[in-house]
Amino acid sequence: MPGGNEPLLPLQWQPVPGCGEAMVYPLIRKVDIVSSNSYLVQTPDAIVLIDPGGLPDQAAHLASIIRGIRGEKARPVIMMLTHAHVDHFLAACSDPLLADPGITLFAIQESGARSLESSDRQVTQAEMLGKEVTPMRIDLRLLEAARERAGAPVRRTFANGATVMVVQDPLESGLPHERIVVGDGPPLDIFHTPGHSPDSICIRIGGLLFIGDLLVAANPGLAGIAGWNRDALIRSITGIQELLSRGGITAVCPGHGRVLTPDDTARMLGAVQGEARLLTGVAELNRDRARETAAFAEDCMEQVNELFTVMAGRLYYVSHVMDELGETEIAAGLPEMIRGEVIDDLLDSFASFTREVHSGRHMPIALALKGGQVIGKLQRTFDQEGLAQIIDPTLVLRAERLLGDYTITFRGFSLPRDIAEHDLNALLRASLTDHTVRSSSDDDVLASADDHAAFGRLLLARIGTSPLLGDVEVTFGADSKTLTVPVDRERFLDLLTYLLEDLVGTGAKAITIHTGKDGDTTVVTISGAGCTGRPGGGIPRRFLSGLCERAGGTLDSCEAAGSRQFTIRFGTVL
Amino acid sequence: MEITTVTRGNGTVLSLAGRIDTVAAPMLEQAINRVMESGSRKILLDFSGVSYISSGGLRVLLASAKKLKNTGDRFGLCCLSADVLKVLKLAGFTSIFSIYPSEGEALAGW
Repeated sequence: MPGGNEPLLPLQWQPVPGCGEAMVYPLIRKVDIVSSNSYLVQTPDAIVLIDPGGLPDQAAHLASIIRGIRGEKARPVIMMLTHAHVDHFLAACSDPLLADPGITLFAIQESGARSLESSDRQVTQAEMLGKEVTPMRIDLRLLEAARERAGAPVRRTFANGATVMVVQDPLESGLPHERIVVGDGPPLDIFHTPGHSPDSICIRIGGLLFIGDLLVAANPGLAGIAGWNRDALIRSITGIQELLSRGGITAVCPGHGRVLTPDDTARMLGAVQGEARLLTGVAELNRDRARETAAFAEDCMEQVNELFTVMAGRLYYVSHVMDELGETEIAAGLPEMIRGEVIDDLLDSFASFTREVHSGRHMPIALALKGGQVIGKLQRTFDQEGLAQIIDPTLVLRAERLLGDYTITFRGFSLPRDIAEHDLNALLRASLTDHTVRSSSDDDVLASADDHAAFGRLLLARIGTSPLLGDVEVTFGADSKTLTVPVDRERFLDLLTYLLEDLVGTGAKAITIHTGKDGDTTVVTISGAGCTGRPGGGIPRRFLSGLCERAGGTLDSCEAAGSRQFTIRFGTVL
Repeated sequence: MEITTVTRGNGTVLSLAGRIDTVAAPMLEQAINRVMESGSRKILLDFSGVSYISSGGLRVLLASAKKLKNTGDRFGLCCLSADVLKVLKLAGFTSIFSIYPSEGEALAGW
């Protein structure tokens, strides 16, 4: 049996520290958005179920445990929710024992009670997660405002035989606090900790503190959901940190993830609070935004997939050439820089999850979360700096920017735009030169001939960075010498590179770029002729259009046998 | 991924259908190796049914090209979709092996 600061063991009864005969049974799940952890606490006078979770199987398991211990000694069941989100309570509707008012008393903070009684699809997240909710019976409203700080104990008796004493105390650790005692059992201290949701509570029983979703409240995909409140979250965390600092709590039981020590919890809460402070202006995360974010994840991932495949391919190519040159040691080390197999696995898992979302098995929010997870891992998987010294650095930079853009969007922020006036003709000329001329000149290579290390570096870069337009006939024409328009320079240059790659990649032999005016509108056309790839495919137009909008323009495209044309239009208003 | 192997003249054509992902790439490598073990040194991969190639797939193509570089050997790809052609071109692979618009055009020169 664990004790002291040892974590609790899952699916086993064990003593509640500092709480006499009370025992706790933790049901710890793999972290997901479908169902929370559940915790059972039994005392001689009652059985307390904290968060039945969101899955019928979970409810059935909990109910069978409850039936077993009620068989040993009949006691009322008190079901408490740390908050009214479907992943924490939906299971309660699926088992007759949990739904029977003669056995189970249902307790929740009063605003959560209102959400459940009215089947509020927004606040309960049923809308976001595609679940159905029906009105629920609430027996005991916790932390009722009408009784706030009344101080006088209130004794109530319920249909399941429970006699409950409720005492609303003054603020404790700066948090609204209420103490509940069932029969002669240990007190249950309830703290109002809104932020993740308006009704979030933390529950202390002896040395255990049940904290619901406080630790994940600032996470992307959760920050901004209906009922989320940044300032309240920051205050709630301060209160719980104060409570932890007073001592006496030996284990912290979260709604998702493993049981934690108080020290780990305090450290993690500090990080959550720091993250929350940065979340000013985070957009509301509703079903529409989840759908948009999921679509952006899909588009980004398709491009990330292509960029990573090309980068890995480039490294394999460089490795192949070095091997041919007899530099076997260098050749063998190169593929390690991008860990292609790990990346392929990540991208495959995202592609297969996307197919499941399209088939209706998961909601869009799940794809947005999966995108965040995969992108986080990708960011840790490749050696950006080393790669940029060997292969085309714009490939690496664009991959970084894509991963960063998705992370920003996923967190609920708008992508930054740095719109300023630039001469489009100058930008285009410079970019075309960059894509035509080798990064190292023949003179550079000759000059390094006596320095083996420098020569090796230049050779690798020269093999790895073949200019995109090296084998293509490019014609640039402009109606006027300069063409100043408001544009986000970096994003415009990224867009241009994607478009040129699209044309070169599909075999264009000649590319023509033309700039001019059409009334107040500035028009850039980029055409490719002699394309040999079969029609269709190419970069999704939705992705290119989004990038063009962020650059400050709009994009049209058309395709015919052997040719492709893109038209970018810029207005004149900043 | 489905791989159909057919002998055409003095070459062998492997028609591929599906995604060349982490699961399919080793299958493709084994199929190419089996053809080489059977004595055929002129191999054409027909990509008509391939919509996606992973970096693992690129590695298999490169490894195969490396094994088929003796005088008289041939290793080529035909009927590439725009997306796959683009990845091969940007990765620099088009200078390592031959790419043909159709099976007929590839085999005509073999």
